[in-house]
Amino acid sequence: MFKMKFPPLAQREGPSLDLGKWLSDFFLRYGLILTLILVSLFFSLRTETFSSLDNILDILRAVSILTIVALGITFSVVVRGFDVSVGAVTGLAVILSTALMVIWQVPWYLAVLICLAVGALVGLLNAFLIIRLRIPDLLATLGVLYLVQGLQMSITKGDAVYKGMTNPWSPTRAIAEGAIHPDFLRFGQGFVFASEGFRGIPIPVLIMLGVAIIAFVFLELTRYGRIFYAVGGNSEAARLSGIDVDKVRTIAYVISAALATVGGLVLAARIGSGAVKSGDPYLLDGVAATFFGFAVLNARRANVIGTVLGAVFVGVMLNGLTMLNTAWYVQDVIKGLVLIVSLGLSYYTTRR
Amino acid sequence: MAMTSLRATGLRKTFPGVVALDGVDLALHGGSVHALIGANGAGKSTLIKILTGYYDAYEGQIEINGRPVAIRRPADAFRAGIEVVHQEVDTTLVPYLSAAENLLIEQLAAPGSGLFIRKQALYRQAQQIVDELGLEIDVRAQAADLSLPQKQLLVIARAVSRRAPFLILDEPTAALSIRDAERLFEIMRELKQRGVAFLYVSHRLAEIQEIADEVTVLRNGQKVAHFAREAFDIAKGVEAMLGTPPGELYPKRQPAAERRLVMEVRGLCWGARLKDISFDVYQGEVLGIAGLTGAGKTELLRVLFGCEQPDRGEIHLNGKPVRFRLPKDAVRHGVYLIPEDRRNLGLLVEEPVRMNVTLPFIRDFSRLGFMRPSKEYARVLQLMDRLKLVPRKPDLPAKHLSGGNQQKVVVGKWLFGAPVVILFDEATQGIDVGAKRELYAIMRDLARSAAVIFASSDIDEVLGVADRVLVMRDGQFVGEFEAEQADRQAVMRLAASTVHVRS
Repeated sequence: MFKMKFPPLAQREGPSLDLGKWLSDFFLRYGLILTLILVSLFFSLRTETFSSLDNILDILRAVSILTIVALGITFSVVVRGFDVSVGAVTGLAVILSTALMVIWQVPWYLAVLICLAVGALVGLLNAFLIIRLRIPDLLATLGVLYLVQGLQMSITKGDAVYKGMTNPWSPTRAIAEGAIHPDFLRFGQGFVFASEGFRGIPIPVLIMLGVAIIAFVFLELTRYGRIFYAVGGNSEAARLSGIDVDKVRTIAYVISAALATVGGLVLAARIGSGAVKSGDPYLLDGVAATFFGFAVLNARRANVIGTVLGAVFVGVMLNGLTMLNTAWYVQDVIKGLVLIVSLGLSYYTTRR
Repeated sequence: MAMTSLRATGLRKTFPGVVALDGVDLALHGGSVHALIGANGAGKSTLIKILTGYYDAYEGQIEINGRPVAIRRPADAFRAGIEVVHQEVDTTLVPYLSAAENLLIEQLAAPGSGLFIRKQALYRQAQQIVDELGLEIDVRAQAADLSLPQKQLLVIARAVSRRAPFLILDEPTAALSIRDAERLFEIMRELKQRGVAFLYVSHRLAEIQEIADEVTVLRNGQKVAHFAREAFDIAKGVEAMLGTPPGELYPKRQPAAERRLVMEVRGLCWGARLKDISFDVYQGEVLGIAGLTGAGKTELLRVLFGCEQPDRGEIHLNGKPVRFRLPKDAVRHGVYLIPEDRRNLGLLVEEPVRMNVTLPFIRDFSRLGFMRPSKEYARVLQLMDRLKLVPRKPDLPAKHLSGGNQQKVVVGKWLFGAPVVILFDEATQGIDVGAKRELYAIMRDLARSAAVIFASSDIDEVLGVADRVLVMRDGQFVGEFEAEQADRQAVMRLAASTVHVRS
């Protein structure tokens, strides 16, 4: 099913088949995957620990939050929208969940539910601004970004959340008595299927896989996915085909914010405390992963497999570079170059 | 006056697996209009692209005034004095600049034009050009706010104002009202006096008869006929384009077995666009709505389809009052629209044919939300056979289809439903005669089980296809005719109202 969406280019152009064209088609479709394999090979030859199972799982764990957030962005991009508020929403979930548990001693599962509800509300707000008030998506979600960031800091009056902090809301500056429940921490730090000599699979990786599989099935195999892509392809034509375009776009923004929230919850569980603005980096990396995904299989549009591979690609690069002791300030340069080259190849070669 | 001439010989252009143009000769002479006609895919666009320097690689020679020239890049064409007005005008205008700035954009961009723009002088100069050509365009208005005909005229004015000796017009009248088209022809006649050589591409054979001095017909990339002005008539043109005698362009009218009233519209009002519209439409008939561009046909169909909300008025469907808030409400009741401007409103151009046609009733191709690819393929292939949609490839992106086949996709997506009323808005614009004939037959076929409303500014086709014709002008109905008895001139006069119509 997934394959059918991307018929081989050679077939479209007619019967002619020459080696050069075949090769360029091949690299367009599999270029990023091939690069990923080559980069991994390179790193495992240069370092001893790179290719170990533990390291692979470490890399996956490191990109799990990014992948979840990036999948949210993918939904908004599929309907040809854009949501720059996701980083702030991720950060909001981090602060809100930990603050609920530490300051107000809310049971962890309730804190999770409250965060998801708040996240969904932010998605609805984005949708309202973009669809009802017709504010361009970039501007509307930028406004919401600031709003959510401010809200995030207001929860604790700008403080970070940790066990034993002073309660910012207490007139006597009393020590907050709550704690982050160990069951909650498992979402970020736990392992399953551990056995002798095997640490187990990190739970964040399982959550990431779950989200990715559901997103893939939804977008590629169901009629809803078809409708999402139709709205992204030409919203006016979709509307005139009897699609409720506004509803579809609203759902996309809600999914985007909800997945950003899930990412934030995993992040909070992983670091076990709530640092202000900790979600910010996920916006840019998530957008990068989504756009890397454009180049996978030469899809030239946002797609789940592409986004996941894009996020893993970012993770592999950073992990490998770190292991090679590349200075941290060079890493962004490399990230930028790779993004430009992979997208440039995909778009430039298909322009002719 | 030196005689300008352009002579192209043996033009040949191939794409992988396709010969788009196969050794075509063409000559343009100063003071003369050379018309180029052919079905979609005959090679007209390829020929224009060669002459305007779009292609680097092609075979053949081009001579201007007897001297060979190399035209491999747009700059070469510009230097040779070849100007083109493309069919899709939106791509050649900067929407947020004023009409004046768009008109004189070359001057603004020229080196040495100064750092600051002298707006008043610019407006004055632009106004002069517009006045000289007798056009009604507000030169201070943003290009985005102009109507489509105004944009078209603006682009033509820009090409004319550059005083190029060779002017290529690609379907210039597709968006124009009869009055504007007449104005364009007057401009062309004036320019002919001044020695301009025209290459004129159009699907409207009647206007070719009016304006052209010679006609070249392309078919499958080859030049199949050439007529001098006196030797050309519409029947010959159609025959040469299709390669077979044209036969009957319009399908036979069939008296309906039963004339069942399906839709009643009463007192529909929408601002200044629709004024007290009332009519009935019956199953078994094709109801034509004839009117010039801007008469309100599109607005009426959009209201009937739930795209727009009327201020007042009632719509009854099968005897029950209905109110469509969104197109999806109309679709649920079996009211379907084939919109004008199929590329922007009708198609997902990047997506495959399959995805386009199954979109409205996608529920029928899924189970528990999951798509059923085999069922989808089977039924899409059936549909493609029924509509003679070629190539028979469900996975081909819609943008690779010819205009006529694209239109079949837009019609085809409704055939999986249960049509009660089908609305066609300018459904044959920009498609070739063969595809038009097929579309007319599809309309007739649909009318057997549903009511068909066919709105068009091409009065001949409305009279040819419809059983009954309502004439629309300025947002209201101004007349009703039985199509078979209708007098073309009378309908035309009614549609154009006080405007003097020559033909």
